[in-house]
Formats: sequence, structure tokens, C-alpha cells
Amino acid sequence: MKSKWFSVVSILLVAIMLISACGATEEPTAEPTEAAAEPTEAPPEAEEVTLSVLVHQNPPLTEYMEQFNADFEAANPGVTVDMSIVAPGGDYATAVQTRLSAANVDVIDYCVDPCAGFSGAIQPYMTGVDKPTWQQLIEAGLVMDITDEPFVQNFDEASIRDAATFEGRVYAINVGRVSYSGMFVNNDLLADVGVAIPTTWDELVSACEAIVDSGNQCMTLGGADGWPIFVGAYGLLGAVFPDQEGLVEGLWTGDIKWNEGKGLEVIEKDQVFATEMLEPGVTALGHNEATARYAAGDVAFMPTGVWQAPVLEEAAPEFDWTYVPFPGSDNAADNQYLFGKYDMSWMIAGDTPHADLAKAYLAALADPDNYQKFVDATGYLPTQPTATLNSKLGQAVAPLLDTYQVGFEQYWVSPKGAGQWANGSQAASWFAPFNEWTDAKELADQIQADLEAGLASE
Amino acid sequence: MTQKLNTLIGILTGGDSASARSRRLKVLSYLFLGILAVFYLWPLFMLIITSLKPLTEYLKDPAGLPTAPSLANFAEAWELANFPRYLLNSAYYTATATVIFIVSSLFVAFPIARDYFKGSNIILTLYVIALFLPPALIPQFQLILNMGLYNTRPGYILLFLINPIGMIIIVNYIKSIPRELDEAAAVDGAGYLRYVLTIVFPLIRPAIATVTVLHAIGIWNEVILPTIYLTNADLYPITRGLIVFQGVYGNNWPGIAAAVLMLMLPILILFMFLQRYIISGLTAGAVKG
Amino acid sequence: MRIMRKNYLFGSGGRWQRLTPIFLLLPGVLLYFLIALGPSIATSVYSFTDASGLKGAPVNWVGFDNYKEFLFQGMASRDNIAATLRTLQFSALVTFIQFTLGLIMAVVLNQNLRGRTFFRTLFFLPVILGVVIQGLMWKLFLLPRGGPMATIFGWLGIQSEFLGGLPSEAFMWVIVVQIWANVGITMVIFLSGMQTISEELYEAARIDGASNWQLFRHVTWPQLTPAINTNFLLNIVGSLQAWQLFYVLLGYKNGTQVLGYLVFAQGFGQTGSSTGFRQGFAAAASIVLFFLVLIIGFAANKVVSWREQRYM
Repeated sequence: MKSKWFSVVSILLVAIMLISACGATEEPTAEPTEAAAEPTEAPPEAEEVTLSVLVHQNPPLTEYMEQFNADFEAANPGVTVDMSIVAPGGDYATAVQTRLSAANVDVIDYCVDPCAGFSGAIQPYMTGVDKPTWQQLIEAGLVMDITDEPFVQNFDEASIRDAATFEGRVYAINVGRVSYSGMFVNNDLLADVGVAIPTTWDELVSACEAIVDSGNQCMTLGGADGWPIFVGAYGLLGAVFPDQEGLVEGLWTGDIKWNEGKGLEVIEKDQVFATEMLEPGVTALGHNEATARYAAGDVAFMPTGVWQAPVLEEAAPEFDWTYVPFPGSDNAADNQYLFGKYDMSWMIAGDTPHADLAKAYLAALADPDNYQKFVDATGYLPTQPTATLNSKLGQAVAPLLDTYQVGFEQYWVSPKGAGQWANGSQAASWFAPFNEWTDAKELADQIQADLEAGLASE
Repeated sequence: MTQKLNTLIGILTGGDSASARSRRLKVLSYLFLGILAVFYLWPLFMLIITSLKPLTEYLKDPAGLPTAPSLANFAEAWELANFPRYLLNSAYYTATATVIFIVSSLFVAFPIARDYFKGSNIILTLYVIALFLPPALIPQFQLILNMGLYNTRPGYILLFLINPIGMIIIVNYIKSIPRELDEAAAVDGAGYLRYVLTIVFPLIRPAIATVTVLHAIGIWNEVILPTIYLTNADLYPITRGLIVFQGVYGNNWPGIAAAVLMLMLPILILFMFLQRYIISGLTAGAVKG
Repeated sequence: MRIMRKNYLFGSGGRWQRLTPIFLLLPGVLLYFLIALGPSIATSVYSFTDASGLKGAPVNWVGFDNYKEFLFQGMASRDNIAATLRTLQFSALVTFIQFTLGLIMAVVLNQNLRGRTFFRTLFFLPVILGVVIQGLMWKLFLLPRGGPMATIFGWLGIQSEFLGGLPSEAFMWVIVVQIWANVGITMVIFLSGMQTISEELYEAARIDGASNWQLFRHVTWPQLTPAINTNFLLNIVGSLQAWQLFYVLLGYKNGTQVLGYLVFAQGFGQTGSSTGFRQGFAAAASIVLFFLVLIIGFAANKVVSWREQRYM
């Protein structure tokens, strides 16, 4: 009797599974018709359409997107926007590529490591390297060509050319630049300690000493997430090598080496930065948590990207801060540039069944009024010439924007066969206590060896 | 020295004796167990006290006791993620896949164990080979993709309908059932289906129990496959749900601790009721098999 | 053609009725071929291509290029081989320590102590909770600033960054958590084995004048053979392929990668470099893992059957 009951139960479960299978395959995305953007053309019985959108986790961004989606749905009756949020990093890269391959998404926010638009394009002097992810996606036909769409022209030429074009066609709209080569400065604390904002490396070193002597901390950042450590040092890199594109080419051709001259200078200063200037215990802080920590007021500098500005303003609106380039060079004139990268872009899946709707969605994102709100919310440096920087951050960095430079990350491609230590721009995060290195020259030699191993092997 | 060793081991393995040495060793045993237990209880304790603190207090003093314990984090975590659905999903995937697997493998194991048809040995060998094959992550992905089952419940369950180790455990156990039983049943006019379901199945219960437990734990604990195959938050099992929650709320440990505790509670309750069956199931087939 | 053998006695009806077992067997076997065997074999085919895994991307045959790149090309291959060695190291340490600790725990709990059910349940608990809960509990426990383990280390005067610090140290901590999480199964299997050993055997040996160490070595240990073999095999093969704790605790950190994680990361774009899916390459890496598991599993199996012959 018991076994009969058991077989009945198992048959029931199989039946349930089959039924749910049938239910699952009838997802409402199957409708081929799209809802029109202009209300006058909407059919009387509006068909139910779901537009699926994938974005990466970033609280100011996702808050803005939720409002934007609500507005879009209101303007397009019958349309539901299904937005998935995935944490940036490895899982996000996986999600983007699996979902595009499975034709499971219509609009994606292309923010795959290093989240720098169409970065890592293969230059003529680079041989034997793998194609970057975005190029693979385009060549597989998984991304829609939007060259002729009117909304593309809302963006400035540099961003279209440098971050969204491949072989003469446009495949994305890039909605923001970031700068990461600067640091937040706690004006109140500096005034208390009696130190001026440092403009050279030596001034920074002595400022740090004075601050620590007064019982405060010099710098903090989100060490738990790993990347903030070396991103904090990007300003250092940019100050020593203002021509970042040239740096990449030099490393490839062998004219520049990490273990001699200015390359070694960077590594040595990275060590001072990582081991002496950062406060102990940064490995316990996530990057948002670090900002909250910084807002507590007893840390002088926070070398990180401008994207933390909205977080900081929300955490401590009374906090008196400014943002200056990281003074990595001994020469004040070299420390005036802001480096950065293009950040997130929007793309449409190549074979989406809702092409017109997806384009309408992007057009709405690119609409100057919406874009202004986007920039205000997220703190990105705008890529539309009509947008203005209204925030406190905007005022701090506005004078520097004219000399904005694209950073190392945008250009660097590792040669195949290079060892794990080949990317010298990340050296700051390799010193103890974050990793195993304690001697700058030894690390520099290892970096160069790992790089040359790749360059030599084809 | 060997004398002491003898005594030590003797008392440990030779059963109880009422002597003073036995008592001393019991004290040592309790000490050993106590120290180990600290490392099992303290993480749990840390989880609990963290979940009862607000974030600001936690940032100032991570290890201390909460000054004003409150359940606010639990309420917040409940709002922020759909944990009941995650639990239901986990339970659904585990139950469905395990049941289908057990039923289908019963009917594979029996004819193979009895060598009823030509080629049954070949099939057994094919299962044994699979013991050492690595997870076929990549072709499986292409397979599910091409079957159109990406991001669906059946697609996900499909991945768990096989378990070569389990199959071999069942085959071995069936071999211990005397063939005379088959003959007697056949003579009595019993059909094959009825025989297997009503007579064989209850007899191999220990092996079934072991395989069920191993298989179910494997499905319940899986965190990588949901990352690849399930992108719709409604379909997440608790493993994926927790990782995503942690990714979103970064280092807000009070919130994360609350979420972890909320998900632990039903598991703990279930475990309290079922632990006898789980543990005896796990060991029955493994020890004698 | 006669498919069924003569020993099949249930088929009194027509030809189709005789084939009932085959029909009932087919779903299971087909599922197995479709989901396990087929893809496993396909992995080897994949390893000879440069497939990215993206739909619509071109796929070319490249012969042994993936293997050459994995094993020989530049420094990256050195890192790959390091990952392979690390996998072995992980498996060896976890197996040895988990096995021994589980045995000791079982021996201790086999006595008639008060609260033994409590302890048994407690130690088995992590197995039920799953990788994510285990990992998150320990991430919290191992916080470098103010976490409980940091406090303990503080009493001993040691400062450490635990999971966020040196790769070798982070690696050791993952081993600790892996053992902590799974020693419960080992212990429980040993315990059950011990409880089946009858007292008479001990009595008989004692009457023969056996010393206590001899009792353990000649009575307990041989009688535990099925449990020992089960634990041994489960541990070794399992730990060679277990990397989910690395995913939860560390992410894909330089200097801590193990082969299983490498396969996943290369195949699904999680290596952190700017290239995407590389499923052909990842397939080659997983074939390397396959050979590793094959050789070691084979050796382990030989040990197991040798022991069975000796003791049973």
C-alpha cells in the first residue's frame, strides 16, 4: 500500500513539473508585435508586451532606472519593463553573455569588466590577443547596429567614436564618463590640522604624516572589494605617465618597462600609497561602506572615483569636501589632469523580437531631459554636450574637464600567455597586507617578467 | 608511554569501564568536544548578535553585544528580497528532481543488477566511467540553451536527474536481494512492474535512503548552476538568492546576517524533525554497501 | 533477436510484454546519456575548438592549441599549472585532515557520553545548511577588524587579514571552512560503522590477551572497512571537484584558483580580464581536470579494493 501511495505521489509530482513546464514556455515575451511609442498609433486593444532589461547593481543607477521604467510604462500602455539587477563583476559578465546567447534579454547595460565602453580594442601593435568581449558579441550578431538611429546623435562625438563604434558602425550609446584619478578631500579636517591641499607627491607624503600625527587617518577606501585599491592608484599612474595611450604602446613595444625608470617609480609610490597612506583595516570595508566611513569625518582623503559623490552627499550633506587630482608626480604641473574611462553603455540585443520598442526605450534614455536627470542622479560626467553638471562634484571638477584624458584601463590588453602579475596598473593591490608582495623592486621585476612572457610567446 | 597509549586507546575503544581512568578520559572527551563545539556555535552566535544590531552600531563595534537588540533588520530583509519564494523554489527543485531521479534509476538499476538483457554490463560500465568524469558544465550549457530551456524550471531540474554514484549504490544493494525472490514472484504470477515497486523497492530502502539524502543535499546546496541557468529572480533557489542579496547589500552585515538566519530557520526546523532519517539514511547504504 | 536473457522470468505475455524492463529502463538511461555522458564526451570535442559559447559566434577547429596554451604558453601556463597543483594540495589536505578528525570525533562520540546526540547534530549541521550559508557565516566570523577570529588571534598576538590578505593564507582558510563544513558526514559514517561492531568481537580478542591498541588495530579498524572506504573515496573525489566555497568566500582571486573554478571562470567570463566566454579553452582545462581525477580516483579505488581483500 505504501509503495502505491509513493508511486501516485511521484506521478503527481511529474505531472506538476510538466504543467509548470508548459506554463513556463508560454512567457509573455512571445508576442511579435510592438507597442508604438506615439500614443496616437496605439492599437485599441494594446497587446501585452514585456521588455526585458539587464542592469548592473549600483544604487543611484537602479533608483533612477526604476523611476524611468515607471515613466516609460506610463507613456506606453501595455508595456511592462522587466528589469533584472545583477551585481557587477564576474556574475554580471556571465549574465550578459548567457542571456544574449539565450535570446533572453532585449536591452542590456554593457558594464562588463572593466566597464569601460568598447575598451581594449586591438591596436596594430598588438599581436595574438583575444578579441574583447564586446567585439565577440558584435561579430556573433548578438548586438544590434544602431548607427542610423536619431538618438545616437544626442551624444558627443568623442564618446560615440571612442566607446561605441566598431568598424565604422555604432552599436551602443555610452551614457557617462567617470573620473577615478582624483581623491576626495576633507576640507574641515585639513583646516583643523593646518595642512593645505597637496599638489605634489612630496606634499602629499608630508600631509599624511601631519594628519596621522594629529590622531586622524590619512586615507580610506573600499579594500574589501579589491579593485578600489588599484583604482585609487590610477591617479598616481596618470600623474607619472600623462600619455596613457603611449604608455600602453610603450609597454607592448618594450620601450617602457615596469622595473626601470618611471615605471619603477610608479610601483614604488604604489607601495607607499598602499601600505603607509591607507588606514589599517580597509580590507573590511566595501566601497560604499568606505564612503560612509569617510563621511564620519576623521579621514582626510578618499582616492576613488567620482561615482561616490552622490553616495557621499547623501550620507553626509553637511560634509565640506572637494575633489582634486591625485598628486602622484613630484611636478605640480603634471598633477592637473583628470583621468577616467567611459563607463556604462546601453545596447540592444541583435535578435530581439521587440526591436522598435527597444529603440524607443533607448531613445527615451537618450532624451536630453531624461539624460540630465540621469546625470544628476548617478554622478557620471556627461557624454551629451547639452547636459550640465549641477552637483557639488560638478562644480569641483568643471575646470578640469577640458583636459580630461582617457585612462590606461581603456587601452590595455594583456598579451596572451602573460602571467597573472602582468598588469602593472594594479600593483597597489598586490602589496601586503592585500597580497603577498613586500618589496617594490621585486614586484616590479615580476610584473615585467610576466608581461614579457606574454610578449615573447605567440 | 605505550602503557599510557594502551590505556588511552583501550578505554576509548573497549567500551565503558567504571574506573577512575575512564572518568578522567571522559573529562578529556568533553573538553575536546567542547572546544570543537565552540567553533560550531560561535559563528552562529556571531550571526545572531550581528543581526540584532543596526548598521551604525555594527560599524563602530562589530564584535560586541547589541545594546538595544531589535528585529528591524529582519523586517527589512524580508521586504528587500523574496525569501519565501526562494525557499519554495529550493524545496520544489529538490523534491521534484530527487523523486524523478529515484523512480527512473530504480528501473535502470534493477535489470542491470539482475543482468536481464544483453548489454546490461556495458551500461553498468558506462555508469562507472561517469564517476570520474568532470562536470560537463560547458556542453550542458549549450544543450540547455539549444533545447530552449534556459531560465526555466524544467531546464534547471533536468540538470539534476542523474547521479552515477547513486545508481551504483542502488545496483550493488539490489544484488544482495536473493534471486529466489524473483523466481517466487514470477511463479506467483506477479508482473514485473508490480514486483519492482511493491517488493524490491521496500527491500532496498536503506540504499534508497542514502542516495536520496546525498542527492537532495547536492541539489539543495548548489550555487553555481543557478548562476548560469536562472536569471529571473522568481526562479532563484535560496543559495542564489542569498548570494545576490549579499552582492546587493555589500557589507551591510546586519542585514545579511538577518537574511541568513531567516533562511536557516526553516532548514533547522526541518532538520530537527528529519535528522534521524537523514543520518540513518546517509549511513545505511554507505556502511554496509 | 533475443534481447532478454533466460533469467528474466516475468515475461509470460507477448513479445512487447517481455520487453517491459527495457521500456522502463529507457527513460533513466536516455536522461543519463543526454545530460551526463553525452556532454562529458562532448567536452573533449569542444576542447579542440576555439568555441566561445556565444550563440552565433564562429567555431573553428584548432586541434591541440588550447592544450598548448593551457600548459605551455608563457607565464599564464605557469599559473594554470599552479592551479592544478593547488587543486591537488587542496584535496590532499582536506581529505587527510577531514578523515582523521572525523575518525577521532567518531571515536570520542562513540562513548556513552551525555549530550552525544546534541554534539552529533551540531557537527552535522553545516552539511545541511549548504555552501552559501557556511560561507557567509565564516566571512562574518573572519572579519579582520573586530571579528571573532580576529579577537582570538589578538589574544595570541597575531594580526591577519584572513580572507582579504595573502593568497596562501586565504587558501588555508578555505581549507579550514571546507573541513569544518564536511567533517560531520565523515564522523557520522564512522559512528554508524562503529556501532555495528559487536561487543563479542572485543570480548573474544580480550580473552585472547590482546592489548588495547591491538584491539583498535585488529578489531575496530578492519571492521570499519566499509565506512573507511566510503569516506576515503567520497572525500578524495569530492574535494578534487569542490570549489563552490572558493566562489562564495574569495571570488576569483589571484593565487588561490583551483582547476574547477578555473574551468567555470574561463567558460563563463568570470576571469576579470576583458575577454568574454572561452568555452573551448575551458573545455580543455576541464579535460586536464578529468585526467587528474581519473588517475587519482583510480589509485584510490585500487587502495580500496586492496583493503577490502585484506580485511573482508
